[in-house]
Amino acid sequence: MSIWQKMESMDRRWIYLMVAITVIIPFLFPMSLPISISPHAQAVYDTIDELPDGSTVMLVFDYYPSTIAECEPMAIAALHQFFSKDIKVVTLSNIPLGGPSMAETITRMMAEKYNKVYGVDYVNLGYKANYVAVMSGMGQAISDIFPTDNSGTLLSELPLMQQTPNYDSISFLFEVADNATADYWVSIVNAQFGVPMVCGTTAVGAPKYYAFVASGQFKGLLGGMKGAAEYEILVGHKDAAVKGMSAQSLVHLLIIFLVLLGNLSFFIGRRKSKGVA
Amino acid sequence: MKTTLPVLVAFLSGLILVVSFFFDDKNWLGLLGQELKIWLTIVGGFTLLLGVVSITKVNWVAVKRKKEGWKYKVLTLIAIFTMAIPSVLSPDWSSYFGRNDGSVYDWLFQYLMSPMMATMFATLAFYIASAAYRAFRARSAEATLLLITATFVMLWRVPMGEWILNLVPWIDIPYFLETYIMGGINMAVQRGIIIGAALGAASMSLRIILGIERTYMGKG
Repeated sequence: MSIWQKMESMDRRWIYLMVAITVIIPFLFPMSLPISISPHAQAVYDTIDELPDGSTVMLVFDYYPSTIAECEPMAIAALHQFFSKDIKVVTLSNIPLGGPSMAETITRMMAEKYNKVYGVDYVNLGYKANYVAVMSGMGQAISDIFPTDNSGTLLSELPLMQQTPNYDSISFLFEVADNATADYWVSIVNAQFGVPMVCGTTAVGAPKYYAFVASGQFKGLLGGMKGAAEYEILVGHKDAAVKGMSAQSLVHLLIIFLVLLGNLSFFIGRRKSKGVA
Repeated sequence: MKTTLPVLVAFLSGLILVVSFFFDDKNWLGLLGQELKIWLTIVGGFTLLLGVVSITKVNWVAVKRKKEGWKYKVLTLIAIFTMAIPSVLSPDWSSYFGRNDGSVYDWLFQYLMSPMMATMFATLAFYIASAAYRAFRARSAEATLLLITATFVMLWRVPMGEWILNLVPWIDIPYFLETYIMGGINMAVQRGIIIGAALGAASMSLRIILGIERTYMGKG
């Protein structure tokens, strides 16, 4: 058996080991990589930057805990930009599995940094089942769908929600999603109620949404950890996504190297076996 | 009656929601549509409950009959009720109840469920690397095209790769990928898929409203 044939049948545990080392090294020896800003990430930043101080926005936590690495930095960076501009934030989630908890934890953490008051500067509506009905119903009255917030307080007792009866009072929507709920936000809330929106999504989901950016329905788009890193740089708070870029860079390069090596060993191995036959 | 009533409910609900879309919110039809949307969220809540009942029933039967892997099913049942019961109890009774900071639910979610789900997803990197090495072969012209495009897009989506692509002096590869691959070919294909899926969903909805499609009742 030639070396190429041996390479082709390499034990997968060697590959796992290579991936593990490639992920761990950048965390032990951090690398400072130049991150270019894409036009879509710049558009997200500019759209929010143009919002007048004191406006009310909706930040939607439509992602599962499994994609925290990609989606959470986007939500945190968005809150940095909102709270530094004194924008009021209404959060909610269409994900039953932890969506409201993530919204609660992250928004409270950020609110403490910016001395924001619950009920006045931000509110967490929580979760309600059947997202199409939720998105559509809030157009008429948010309190019809969410009579109380995530903690059970009546919306009528929260000053921010007294000023925000429906989408007419929402200046902007920031959807952070790892699934297809963004399709419904764009077709229901943006198209029918005219709420301008942007979307932050996983790298796998981003290619689909180029169509909505081109049509002008999404003002901007953040794709994957790279998109999150670009946005972190724009808001001036380099955090988890920027740190994660080194590991992701090396793993991407490793996978490309493995694909090339796999093809090389496949073709050379096949030629040699033909020669032997 | 068992067939007629659900078809009638589906027909009326669908009809009201479709027609109310074209009327003002203040109109009685608009208000009726809004009422139905509220009902939908309530029905959605009950479907979640149905899920809990179903998973409990399936696992309980397996435990009772000591089927293969029944010990894991015991763990599943314990996990469901350890998270669910304290989360639905009133936080007025104890700070461990409800879903607020410091509650049992919150602790389990933050320190067990969330890291476990993230770990499961992260292991994909290992499988993808292994699968890419074994299966991603340039066996045909189409596969070669896909392989080359994927390689360039993967490079472009990370800073180190972008730096490598920028070493090519005579062409701005990142700009080419953004404009022509992602914003051109990719977008055209995605538009086709989105429009196709929307038309499919519209026709399926119409079939349900008109009672032609009855598979949701467990019938062909």
